Amino acid sequence: MVQYNFKKMTVVPNGKDFIDIILSRTQRQTPTVVHKGYAISRLRQFYMRKVKYTQQNFHEKLSTIVDEFPRLDDIHPFYGDLLHVLYNKDHYKLALGQINTARNLIGKISKDYVKLLKYGDSLYRCKCLKVAALGRMCTVIKRIGPSLAYLEQIRQHMARLPSIDPNTRTILICGYPNVGKSSFINKITRADVDVQPYAFTTKSLFVGHTDYKYLRYQVIDTPGILDRPFEDRNIIEMCSITALAHLRAAVLFFLDISGSCGYSIAQQAALFHSIKSLFMNKPLIIVCNKTDLQPLDGISEEDKKLVAEMKSEAMKTVIGQGGEATNDDGVLLTMSTLTEEGVIAVKNAACDRLLNQRVELKMKSKKINDCLNRFHVAMPKPRDNKERPPCIPQAVIEAKIKQAAEKEKRQTERDLENENGGAGVYSASLKKHYILANDEWKEDVMPEILDGHNVYDFVDPDILHRLEELEREEGLRQEEEGDDFEMDGLELTPEEKKTLAAIRKKKSLLIQEHRIKKSTAESRPIVPRKFDKDREFTTKRMGRQLSKLGIDPSRAIERARSRSVSRGRKRERSVDRGDTDGGDAMEVDTPNKKQRMLSRSRSRSRSRPPTEVVPGEGFKDSNQKAKALQKARKSNKNRNKDARRGEADRVIPTLKPKHLFSGKRSIGKTQRPNALRISTASKSHLSPAFSLSRCFSTVLDGLKYASSHEWVKHEGSVATIGITDHAQDHLGEVVFVELPESGRSVSQGGSFGAVESVKATSDVNSPISGQVVEVNSKLTESPGLINSSPYEDGWMIKIKPSSPSELESLLGPKEYTKFCEEEDAAH
Amino acid sequence: MFFCEIQPQGDYIDLHRKRYGYRPDHFERKRKKEARLVHKRSETAQKALGIKGKMFAKKRYAEKALMKKTLIMHEESSTRRKVDDDVHEGSIPAYLIDRVNTTRAKILNNTIKQKRKEKAGKWEVPLPKVRPVAEDEMFKILRSGKRKTKQWKRMVTKATFVGPGFTRKPPKYERFIRPSGLRFTKAHVTHPELKATFNLEIIGVKKNPNGQMYTSLGVLTKGTIIEVNVSELGLVTPAGKVVWGKYAQVTNNPENDGCVNAVLLV
Repeated sequence: MVQYNFKKMTVVPNGKDFIDIILSRTQRQTPTVVHKGYAISRLRQFYMRKVKYTQQNFHEKLSTIVDEFPRLDDIHPFYGDLLHVLYNKDHYKLALGQINTARNLIGKISKDYVKLLKYGDSLYRCKCLKVAALGRMCTVIKRIGPSLAYLEQIRQHMARLPSIDPNTRTILICGYPNVGKSSFINKITRADVDVQPYAFTTKSLFVGHTDYKYLRYQVIDTPGILDRPFEDRNIIEMCSITALAHLRAAVLFFLDISGSCGYSIAQQAALFHSIKSLFMNKPLIIVCNKTDLQPLDGISEEDKKLVAEMKSEAMKTVIGQGGEATNDDGVLLTMSTLTEEGVIAVKNAACDRLLNQRVELKMKSKKINDCLNRFHVAMPKPRDNKERPPCIPQAVIEAKIKQAAEKEKRQTERDLENENGGAGVYSASLKKHYILANDEWKEDVMPEILDGHNVYDFVDPDILHRLEELEREEGLRQEEEGDDFEMDGLELTPEEKKTLAAIRKKKSLLIQEHRIKKSTAESRPIVPRKFDKDREFTTKRMGRQLSKLGIDPSRAIERARSRSVSRGRKRERSVDRGDTDGGDAMEVDTPNKKQRMLSRSRSRSRSRPPTEVVPGEGFKDSNQKAKALQKARKSNKNRNKDARRGEADRVIPTLKPKHLFSGKRSIGKTQRPNALRISTASKSHLSPAFSLSRCFSTVLDGLKYASSHEWVKHEGSVATIGITDHAQDHLGEVVFVELPESGRSVSQGGSFGAVESVKATSDVNSPISGQVVEVNSKLTESPGLINSSPYEDGWMIKIKPSSPSELESLLGPKEYTKFCEEEDAAH
Repeated sequence: MFFCEIQPQGDYIDLHRKRYGYRPDHFERKRKKEARLVHKRSETAQKALGIKGKMFAKKRYAEKALMKKTLIMHEESSTRRKVDDDVHEGSIPAYLIDRVNTTRAKILNNTIKQKRKEKAGKWEVPLPKVRPVAEDEMFKILRSGKRKTKQWKRMVTKATFVGPGFTRKPPKYERFIRPSGLRFTKAHVTHPELKATFNLEIIGVKKNPNGQMYTSLGVLTKGTIIEVNVSELGLVTPAGKVVWGKYAQVTNNPENDGCVNAVLLV
């Protein structure tokens, strides 16, 4: 069944709030940062998203409104009519229609502008279009502002409508205004309806619930109805009419027989007859109220007649339902809500008749057969007249009785206090029920503070237990000691005593010796190397000096040599070892120990486990130390991973060294760009060591060198010229040499030929001027000679120098070496 | 299944007040709340940032302006003021009375200039001057050809009007492309005297101030004169015929606003 609860509908914001909600949501939930430098597609997408998102939100919000407000045609006709009466169906439909139209319009606007945004060619235009789109959407909402306000009012009113279930068991109270309808509902339910002595106190429907025979009944209080044409009735009356028309309920028609409501019985009877069509097929009860003012018997004959007429009309509805015409018990009832006389009777009669009617209806319906054939209520017939009470064993009964007797209350201190004269006279003893080893202790005074200490700090519940344990331990130890003593007490023979003494002596000697060695091992007189750079402190010198003083140095030298650090393998250099080897201690040692000596070096003393506690470190026990060590290691872990020097090292290295990430990649190197530059750079780093050795080996003495890397060998009147090893090295493999013809004259610094290598072609300049006498013809056939021996077979030309003084200006071998180095470094 | 608790129904708050009255401190609380409201608002005014702050300030400003106006209005009724004498047209302040008015020699010259200007401008239009639109703003170059090397195609980036009878040339040879997304057939036309706006159909583009080519292409930019169908308006010529088409000038940038706004030329 549909639950009619209009309290859950979402709030309808007014036009301005609506716009604010949506626009601020767009602002919050879509990206906000955009730059004109972005790709145009990204800009378009950015603004399209804003437009679409706004539209979606509008759509969602408007859809909730359209969906949540009930459609008057779909809900129960009672509610449909009630809402129509209260809010006017046409107006309501129009408002919802407008909301729907606005939703569609906004959808269309969004579609149009998204289409236009596709042609946006700049951030400015896209932004303009977005602004226009959102603006138009907001305008649409602004236009439906009045509808939104109207719907919000309706929503608020609907939330306060009573939640009436149109299909449940219902009792409906109707009648003229001020006849006691609300007083009645207040009497039989917990509905808190206002009751006032004037007409139309109740302006709308009210609901209460009452119980009868374990069933819940819904009681509806309606506003009073006046007897006038249907069209003239106001909204308040129309509420009652709607309820009467659509709810299948037991109707209580209230009749004020005293006439204190301001309407005569005749008027009320007229109303009854004018609306009796609404009572068809419903159990109807005519309730004569206010009998405290005017009993039913006391009214005039005419009125009695009117009442009888009404009763007969009401009987018709009973007959209409197939009831018996003679049964007129529950049709006309009297009561007084003031004195509560007959109120319950009215309620019961109404509930009874309603229930009967509903059951009858159900029995008539087709569905009942589905249920009925499943029912079977077994009613066993008594076999005989014998009583068969439940069997309870005697023991159980006794136990129960006993239990009941035992249940008597324990006497508490309070009871005692009351017995002995109350508070102040009798003081309750709190110590009475202490559980102690000795009952006498109960009254002992127990100080809390003793000698400035809190006693409780020294109380240990297991102290006795522990003491016992300790004592037991002590006893055990004493026993053991007794054994030892006994063993000692055994008489030793004199021989044994002797050996014992010898052993002890030996032991102490060994210990002494060891200690001496140990102390000297670390404090050997060694002159540290840094003070002996020129190796002056030698044994020879010492010998010389000692002999000069007239002392025989042989022993001292021997000793020094024996202690020399640099002799022998490191492990064997250990002082301990050397000494033990020579010492007589070895002889005493067992062969087993000797083997160990051989296999294992004694250079290192047995190490302590790292967790062993050394006094002064401040650790409680080895456990704690282990933990501390572990923590320290852990704290270092990350630091070590990052290759930090220590805590203070917060260097951020160049994460992307520029030289590794800029420039082009050359052929064959895919790992990093400009690999060439790096390789040359690394070469130049390494070069000092290399070039030094190279220059030493390949710059010959006795030659003269030019800064353009040629050498000159001047022998007699002829000077031989070639290129240096350094030059050929830089050129690489020489593939062709161009040489001048003999007889040509060359000048200092002028080029006389060229060398072509795999890497480059370079001119060869003459370091001195003169006339070419001879040319190395071998070079034309095998130019590789320049690479293999630049100073001998690889000479190029021989000239006759015109001015030998030029040789002086050339570089010597040392200068040339330096020059080369500088040049390499510069590269 | 069935809810049992008593749910409030009807005007339950009013009913409660009617029965038990207001809670004892109701008015005190109300007074305090109202007194605090000023501070609350000032706090929001100080704290609101960005668009929220702007909106708030605008609202406050409007409220204050309204309040001042009402205050002045109320004061006006009680205060006395001197009645302004009507100032005659052409009256001169005292310090200028003794001056002899000089006639300008150049006045003729000015009128001649004025006339020429009028002659030059055929229409007296609401937007006499417009920003010139450069060609590269108006057109986007489309590259074509297999290697995308040819650059003779142009796409119009502004809103256009394309007549209903327009048939495309074969796309391969089409020089100017007017994208269908930027085509408009209707304009919001404002009648300057009626002060009313109508959504009218565009009949054609009369003149685009940026050049003849744009006119023939039907480009709608600010200042363009368009012809609109005013049959809806029911305008009548002095002779009694119903006016069908009328000129209007575009007053906005349709490509930025997504709609064409225009003023009717009457």
